[in-house]
Amino acid sequence: MNIAVCRPQVPFARGGAEIFTDELVRQLRIRGHEAEIVSVPFKWYPGQRVLTQAFLWRLLDLTEADGRKIDLVVSTKFPSYCVRHPNKVVWLVHQFRQAYELDRTELGQFSESAEDRATRRRIQRLDQVALGEARKLFATSGNVAGRLRASTGLEAEVLPHPPQELDYRTDAYEPFVFSVGRLDRAKRIDLLIQAAAKQGVDVVVSGEGPDRARLEQLANGRVTFTGRVSEAELADLYARCRAVFYAPVDEDFGMVPFEAFLAAKPVVTTTDAGGPRDVVRDRDTGRVVEPTVEAVAGALAIGEDDARRWGEAGKALAERVTWDGAIDRLLS
Amino acid sequence: MKVAYYSPLPPSRSGVADYSALLLPELRKHVDVVVAAKRRFRRFPSADVALYHVGNDPDAHGWIAEALHARPGLVVLHEYVLHHLVAGITLGKGDSRGYLDAMERGHGLAGRLLAFGVTEGRIPPLWETRPEQFPLAGDVLGAATGLIVHSRFVESRARTAGFQGPIWRIPHPAWPLPDAPSEPVAGSPLIGCFGHLNESKRIPQLLAAFDRLSASQPRARLLLVGALSDRLDGLETPAGVVREEYVPEDRLWALMKACDVIVSLRSPTMGETSGSAIRALSLGKPLIVSDVGWFSELPDSVAIKVPVDETEPEALSAALERLSSDEAARAAMGKAAHELVERDHSLSRVAELYAGALEEAAGGGVVREVVLRDVAEAAAEIGIEAADPGAGEIAGRLDEVELGG
Repeated sequence: MNIAVCRPQVPFARGGAEIFTDELVRQLRIRGHEAEIVSVPFKWYPGQRVLTQAFLWRLLDLTEADGRKIDLVVSTKFPSYCVRHPNKVVWLVHQFRQAYELDRTELGQFSESAEDRATRRRIQRLDQVALGEARKLFATSGNVAGRLRASTGLEAEVLPHPPQELDYRTDAYEPFVFSVGRLDRAKRIDLLIQAAAKQGVDVVVSGEGPDRARLEQLANGRVTFTGRVSEAELADLYARCRAVFYAPVDEDFGMVPFEAFLAAKPVVTTTDAGGPRDVVRDRDTGRVVEPTVEAVAGALAIGEDDARRWGEAGKALAERVTWDGAIDRLLS
Repeated sequence: MKVAYYSPLPPSRSGVADYSALLLPELRKHVDVVVAAKRRFRRFPSADVALYHVGNDPDAHGWIAEALHARPGLVVLHEYVLHHLVAGITLGKGDSRGYLDAMERGHGLAGRLLAFGVTEGRIPPLWETRPEQFPLAGDVLGAATGLIVHSRFVESRARTAGFQGPIWRIPHPAWPLPDAPSEPVAGSPLIGCFGHLNESKRIPQLLAAFDRLSASQPRARLLLVGALSDRLDGLETPAGVVREEYVPEDRLWALMKACDVIVSLRSPTMGETSGSAIRALSLGKPLIVSDVGWFSELPDSVAIKVPVDETEPEALSAALERLSSDEAARAAMGKAAHELVERDHSLSRVAELYAGALEEAAGGGVVREVVLRDVAEAAAEIGIEAADPGAGEIAGRLDEVELGG
């Protein structure tokens, strides 16, 4: 099949959605399909321009390219699913969250003006139409599917995808907790730093982001900040750590838990973390606690035996999520 | 965002007053609401959008219709037939010409002639005899910038009448269930009928059907709650009928709770929703309704629908017989009613839908202009002109995703 995988692109930014879609294309090609990324730059501000940006996708003609029929488009996140195609499947990473659960929070972007309120509603209507016309809807996590159901009434099958390919292995359960990801407030690394200080646990934090300076100040030298790491370094940190902390606010899906599990490491998360709750189960594959310093501090105190047992349980779970299975369902 | 809210409110006994009393606190969680008072409606509250609850009762809604004509806005059209309202704000104020003009606008010269017949006392008032044939909704539709309706029936009537503005279909909200226990009323089964008891509620037909049911179900009782219309004075009630006049809200619930089946018949319909039927669904009571208007749109899983034609007596008897004798069917319908209310009629959902409609009504025009201007500028910059086929294609794509209109 000729398959166009659609994703918006924020120039100079690369995150989980980009890793996921690149890997999807690679996996489709391995299985004999012609697959290609189709991308359009996306700028989500000012708010009034979001709809115009979304409409760009509607103008694309993806029925064929250079005389070759495009059999299937797989759209991933807002606004790529506004694309028009008779065989459109959506594997939803997320909607435009500022128009939904982030509205009227510090992460929202729409004011109380009549124009902003109406823009938000138009985005919701656009979702109804664009997602409603998909031949099939998948969501990367139960959290994403739940948000879709709550906001549009549309049902999506939960279809998680495997994490990026790394040299996953288990070398040891050294006494440190590892965290990896973009350093912004929504990832709540500050909660980890404060809890670790309280518990006397060593922490290694990898990644870059706008919150790094604040976090380093908060850590006051007690935390190792590695900055961005190579794939080999990342695999090594997963292989050696005792546990992995991953507790963003209401995360869509998040590949970190699966990455940790494939290294047989348990994950510490919080009750409000969203997507990770699909796979992190308290005292089974990690710890799930209230998002407070005290609760997280207690959860970080994981003995080596528990870490090994919970990590192995997570590994068994993660190994069941394969590209073979995901692509079979996607193309069914 | 601020909304100027025009509605009757308690202590008015109008159904819309009850509706607004239920909705307002929840709506205020989403938008700022300033309630317009009847006595000072001419001083329009400062707001981004005005919302007018329009129903057929001139006492409750006359001032609201007048405010709407002075300042167009979003209309909640609680019923489609507004003849009584129009008569009230014209003839009721000695404005015969206003009534004649309204009838002519709605129904042409024949309408004006009929209106003369009414004003001259030659024919009975049309709002009492056949209002459904002369709905007189045109003036309200003409002043409405958008509509909120409760049924596809009213939506369809408005579109057929030529209304081209946006329409939001929002279900009637369900009331929170009161804790009070049911009131002990004899009857096995106990069949209830609630509300103003007039001819359009098919009371004579219901009494006849109940009389037939009594032959096979001697312990059955029919509980009729509500003021009886003058025109039904002298109506004979068969044995087994229990009468209650108008009852306050808490007792209404207690009596409804006691019922096994609730009947809510209607014909002709003015396009209205039934507050009694919504209450019955909230309580998980199986319903028997007329197969008309909003009632037709209830899922078959929660209501048996009785056609309003020559088969009505037989169908109504069969429905009563079935629900009286089949406890499992009653239970299944009750379960489906609970599910329906939770899914479609929850107060929080209805308030959210209202907020969406209000926000779009207030700012949607500006947003549309921003998008269209962006697209038009980009098209013009690369030489696409209005007459080009490409422009038509762009317009079509905008319409597909509801950004065009």
